Amino acid sequence: RLRHPYRSAASFSVSGAPPSLGPTSELLIIFMLPSATRSFQRVLFPRASEVVVASRTRTPLMGRDRFVGHRIGWGWILPPVDDHRSRRRRRQLSVIASSSSSSSSSSSSSSRPSFENNKERDGIPRDHRRRCIRECTSRAELRGPNLNDVIHFRSILSRRDGGGIITSLLENDSDSRGARGGGGTRRVQRGLDGTVSRFIPPRAETREYRGGVVPRGGNTGLCGGATPLRDEIVLSLEGMNNIYGLDEHSGILTCDSGVILENLHAYSNERGYLFPLDIGAKGTCQIGGNVSTNAGGQYFFRFGGLHGTVMGLEVVLPDGRVLHLNMDNVDDDGTVQRTKRISTHRKDNTGYDLKHIFIGAEGTIGVVTKVAIACPALPTSKNATLLVCDSYCDVLKVMATAKVELGEILSAMEFMDHNTLKLVQAHGFGGNGDGPRLLRDMLQSDPSKQESDRSRQLYLLVETQGSNSADDASKMDNFLAHLYDSGTIRNGFLAQDSRQMTEMWRIRESCNPSVSRAGCVYKFDVSVPIEDYMTIAREVEGRLFASVKHVDPIVCVWGHVNDGNAHINIVTPGRFETESAIEETIETIVFDEVLKHSGSISAEHGIGQKKNEALGRLKDENIMVIMAQIKALFDPHGIMNPGKYLPKKYQHNMCK
Amino acid sequence: MKILVPIKRVIDYAIKIRVDPTKGARGVQLSNVKMSMNPFCEIAIEEAIRLKEKTKTSAEVVAVSIGPKQCTETLRTALAMGADRGIHIETKADVRGDYVDMQPWGIATLLKGVVEREGGVDLVLLGKQSIDSDCGQTGTLLAGLLNAPQATFASKVDRGDDGSFTVERETDSGTEVIKIKPTTLPAIITCDLRLNTPRYPTMPNIMKAKKKPVETISLEAMVQELGLNLDEVLSRKNEVVEVYEPPPRKEGEMVGDVMELLAKLKEKGLVA
Repeated sequence: RLRHPYRSAASFSVSGAPPSLGPTSELLIIFMLPSATRSFQRVLFPRASEVVVASRTRTPLMGRDRFVGHRIGWGWILPPVDDHRSRRRRRQLSVIASSSSSSSSSSSSSSRPSFENNKERDGIPRDHRRRCIRECTSRAELRGPNLNDVIHFRSILSRRDGGGIITSLLENDSDSRGARGGGGTRRVQRGLDGTVSRFIPPRAETREYRGGVVPRGGNTGLCGGATPLRDEIVLSLEGMNNIYGLDEHSGILTCDSGVILENLHAYSNERGYLFPLDIGAKGTCQIGGNVSTNAGGQYFFRFGGLHGTVMGLEVVLPDGRVLHLNMDNVDDDGTVQRTKRISTHRKDNTGYDLKHIFIGAEGTIGVVTKVAIACPALPTSKNATLLVCDSYCDVLKVMATAKVELGEILSAMEFMDHNTLKLVQAHGFGGNGDGPRLLRDMLQSDPSKQESDRSRQLYLLVETQGSNSADDASKMDNFLAHLYDSGTIRNGFLAQDSRQMTEMWRIRESCNPSVSRAGCVYKFDVSVPIEDYMTIAREVEGRLFASVKHVDPIVCVWGHVNDGNAHINIVTPGRFETESAIEETIETIVFDEVLKHSGSISAEHGIGQKKNEALGRLKDENIMVIMAQIKALFDPHGIMNPGKYLPKKYQHNMCK
Repeated sequence: MKILVPIKRVIDYAIKIRVDPTKGARGVQLSNVKMSMNPFCEIAIEEAIRLKEKTKTSAEVVAVSIGPKQCTETLRTALAMGADRGIHIETKADVRGDYVDMQPWGIATLLKGVVEREGGVDLVLLGKQSIDSDCGQTGTLLAGLLNAPQATFASKVDRGDDGSFTVERETDSGTEVIKIKPTTLPAIITCDLRLNTPRYPTMPNIMKAKKKPVETISLEAMVQELGLNLDEVLSRKNEVVEVYEPPPRKEGEMVGDVMELLAKLKEKGLVA
């Protein structure tokens, strides 16, 4: 790890033997052939804390000659080789270069340069080309923080003891784990007791600091959206955790965005309301992050997700402006200043509803600092039942029956397949309560069956919430009797009290962790037509067996079947290292199948840094251009979550 | 073998209890609150069913409940778990609304009557206490009234071929093993938490439970049949003077470091 401040690191020149640094520091210089980029990145980045600079002198390793002497983003170096991605990039660059310099000869983009002849490409001299690359990728503009920045930020954070910042620049860093798919030392700014609005204007005004900012909530996202790619500042909102209140009449709960979801559940339950968002990570995730990623969860079907329940937001834009979108102007010590028309109502049809852009924007156009959510009344009667079905047609019949018999009290319907529950039974059920026995009973519902038939069994967890326990009990009774008598379910288990209900939900919530413990997981979260749910899983399975059989992939499917949302997880048991070749194959197969049925490649997990390139390939060009324009409108310098959400070619600061 | 299992319908253990202002200072809010079987009674039913499954001779498990008409649901749960039939002594809504009204003495008297009315009961399995009153007296009172042998806080129950019961019981000073010799009187065993884990009723059993017989008899009729005095049954009880919520826990204060902690402690006079 480099202990030296950035600037001097940037001016290192390496010639032959590396410079003498302290005994505890390591200098890692990476030159990579672009074609080998990905595998290098995967292998080296987890251990690398920083990827530095290029050399001024010739190195025998690559046969290349001089490179530019300062940091260029991504850690690997342009000029590109002859593949389709770099050809496009080169085309863009050559176009810019030709327009900005009159001395260029030709701007033909179709010439295929050879490796050796990089003195002149497309008729543009090499140094000039390099300069253009530097100028046009504004990644060069975004620099990492240094000591002065830390001092500056310290002065504006309200925690004077300096506990608000964790950074390696000051040698008191905590661990700095390699981020998912990216390297970089993390500088974490924590405990923002002051307002984010106080933080951002100074940062934006002082143009000298223009670096990346990654807002972070609970960091439970599954697409790496809260993990910095290189050297961005991580802005953690966990210190902003006030709950301002719950209006008794309208049921609207107002709070800061750093409040943990489980605390919101407890707060609203105490007052007789139910918080309408419930996901497995609720012990850690924060509501700001949930709003920014438009989290789904098990009550999506019943309450309409965050787009339906968020009534107001306060956001801070990257240039420091604070927007109160349908929200009371709540000061940070809790007093409410009512100004003009701003207030938290359910209905407000005055103008473009901007809050919906921020819901699901994943921190790329602003930081959500306060949230107002409408909460329904707490149901007094809850019932849960686990059903075992023989085939997917039966599952569909169960869903139809539920909508008719259970009707308005149906609150959640979770689907799990046999592979998933076998893994839960093997790996994961940490509880020593009824879980294991219930699982055993479920998985062996019919002892006379063969294992191969049993592997086709499918499981449903159906939950109801209502206001009258006697009525609900009789509805549930009729529902189960109907299903059992018609042979739609092979077996069913009805929870008798809250303990049994909690156990059933724990089985569902253990799906994710158990599967991760079995081996390396390739996660996909897709939306598919409800009737094709299992057909897609079977097709994926078939194609996987055809192509990557040597790793014994297990296809596990679970999800919110009422929304058509399948979490397809492919596990390679026993192996715990991601292998990029296999990952690409699997990704191609799964996305292929999903798109054949016109599904969505990311139903609720979002884009983050894992799916943004796929997004570029799959979505309509017009939509992508407008999205890029929106991003440019809110974030002209591209400081919020650079490199994520939108595909790189649409990040507007690529080539103006 | 005939096993009698009295069960009680209480507020679900996970619900936060609230004092009901309309009942004066003595009542707990019961309306719109989820009720289910007392967890210890569930364990008792589970043990009864296990004993029935283990025995070579035929066995019958009878569940008894005393309470308002919603107790039939609780009895159905017991039947779905595997009991054979149920007896419901129905009280009017204002009696046995909660633990304040019908207390262990009255219950034990009624149960004694039920045992004698049934005849041939080998074992009465009860939960060691109920989670609303926490009295823990019904089992022992019943044993006293019947003059029958008892073993409480059972963590393991085994039946011998001669009809004796070997019970391991948990006490504060360790585990004690008691053997109840077979007599004409039923053995009374109360169940502790670690005896077993109650099963989930499965669909086939739930369906079968609908057809199992539940005898409903009103409290007055039962009292008359047993030749007791209703007043005596109801009036022998403790008087609950007041029910109140515990004062809310004060939030802790977060301090930044040791120096701040020391300063705060000095401030509160806790450290010189």
